[in-house]
Amino acid sequence: MSATFWVWFGIAIYIAVGLVIAVMARRRLGAGVSEFFLANRRVGGFVSALTYSATTYSAFMMIGLAGLTYITGVGALGFELTYLCGMFMMVFFLPRFWLVGRKYGYISPMELLSDRYQSKWVGATAAILALVFLVPYAAVQLMGIGYLMNGVSQGAIPVVAGIIIAVLCAIAWSNIAGMRSVAWTDAFQALIMIVTSAAVLGVVVAALGGFGSFFGKLESATPGLLTVPTAKGAWNINMFIGYALPWLFFLISNPQVSQRLFIPKSVTAMKQMLGGFLIFGFIYTLISVLWGFGATLLVPGLEKPDLATPTILALPIIPMGLAIIVMIGITAAAISTIDSVLLTLSSVWARDIHKGLINPKVSEARELRVGQWVIPIMAIIAFVFAWWAAEQTGNVLEFMIARLSVAASAGLLMAVPAIFGAFFWKRATASGAIVSCIVGAIVVLLFQVTGWKPLGWWPGTWGFIVCVILFIGVSLATKPPRAKAEEFIGYLKEKLAEGKFI
Amino acid sequence: MGKTGWAWTWFGFLLALDVAIPWFVLTHVEKMSGAFLFWTIWVVVAIISAFVIFLKWKGARR
Repeated sequence: MSATFWVWFGIAIYIAVGLVIAVMARRRLGAGVSEFFLANRRVGGFVSALTYSATTYSAFMMIGLAGLTYITGVGALGFELTYLCGMFMMVFFLPRFWLVGRKYGYISPMELLSDRYQSKWVGATAAILALVFLVPYAAVQLMGIGYLMNGVSQGAIPVVAGIIIAVLCAIAWSNIAGMRSVAWTDAFQALIMIVTSAAVLGVVVAALGGFGSFFGKLESATPGLLTVPTAKGAWNINMFIGYALPWLFFLISNPQVSQRLFIPKSVTAMKQMLGGFLIFGFIYTLISVLWGFGATLLVPGLEKPDLATPTILALPIIPMGLAIIVMIGITAAAISTIDSVLLTLSSVWARDIHKGLINPKVSEARELRVGQWVIPIMAIIAFVFAWWAAEQTGNVLEFMIARLSVAASAGLLMAVPAIFGAFFWKRATASGAIVSCIVGAIVVLLFQVTGWKPLGWWPGTWGFIVCVILFIGVSLATKPPRAKAEEFIGYLKEKLAEGKFI
Repeated sequence: MGKTGWAWTWFGFLLALDVAIPWFVLTHVEKMSGAFLFWTIWVVVAIISAFVIFLKWKGARR
């Protein structure tokens, strides 16, 4: 039997198991918007940790981050671990999101902003930001799957076929039972991701003579990749900040992950979610970076760094069965992110755009149907973007998965000052939030499209500076929703003290 | 300064190390024991710090 057959066979098994899990989740699906989008805020710690991990970590890791390590070296580790260090901020934000989510019944992070600032336009602005910038982020996941299946099948499966499979799975798993099916399939997929990636890294390290020999070969063959900046000039401080800044605030800027702060069923579940994720993230990051370093030794000189992983998986040192299992693990990582993004975007559209702006009197059933329709529409848009980006052959760096992911998060970063203000600054205003989001996002888009980097600073850095200044300045010049701010922050102060949160 | 203030200060200190050590101290160390080892240990410290804080959380009534 050919490699192509076994690739299709592996994909079929993966889809079948995923569907069974999603259908099982549907049996426990109750009625209502909160049930569909948040599993009724009743998710246990173990599943919360795994769905948070699977949603956060995507094709970006074993393909994008590995590719980035392959071409730019150890700075990629620093950049990704800066994200994980940023998770320290969960000790502030997790209890705050969770407490107000329960008290006020928020479905999306944007709804939180609308209520806190007493303006539906704040939520709508943040929602549009998410709809615009999460599309390329979802698209890079699709590209990852396309590259991977194409590589492992040695070109027999076209890139676009992999993209189509991922789109269909993501649509199905987010539509079957909403957050419940997404969380359950995420848990299954997170386990596949970590086990398969660890196993294949073990094989590669063994082929290179064990860790001692692997590290020794790296130091002698590619010493320039072990410092920052690298010998080739990558990872100067501006580049590092340009990459790391959007990642640092990923936990609150990306609604598909911040929405998960509403779902743990108890404080114990919250603790398990955070602790489980931190451990998962640490292990998975090290695996992905070491994998990328392994690629520099095994398959040097590739034109497209994102092809490092598929190329290694096609080497004879990797048994075909393992290569296919790993391919499924990475596919799982990508699909578990896409379906979460689609579900979040559908809730954002239904709650913050449709109900918030278009039809405030919409029934809950109608709101839910609107959300479910958005899922395939957003999936198709992401599909078109992924197909287009995967076809690009010009500037390889511009269309690298890592680069596109960071560019998308740079846009989402513009909601961060408004989120900080909601929890920590009573003087923050709706006008400050709206103006800072819009102008910041325009700056990011403009700099991203033109490639302009004044002073060598990256688009996200400039956008964030402009955004923070505008948020503070406009807030000070306008009238805050004093009563709501007092009530919202006062409630948190009382409950945070009660739960020994900080 | 309260506990929250100390936690933010600690976080800021960790971020300062994130740039200061690899770019200004280890920039010529072309070994795994350079920036690679630093960032690995550094993030473990950050993770342990988070554990120290959140393990004290207890259930709050709504």
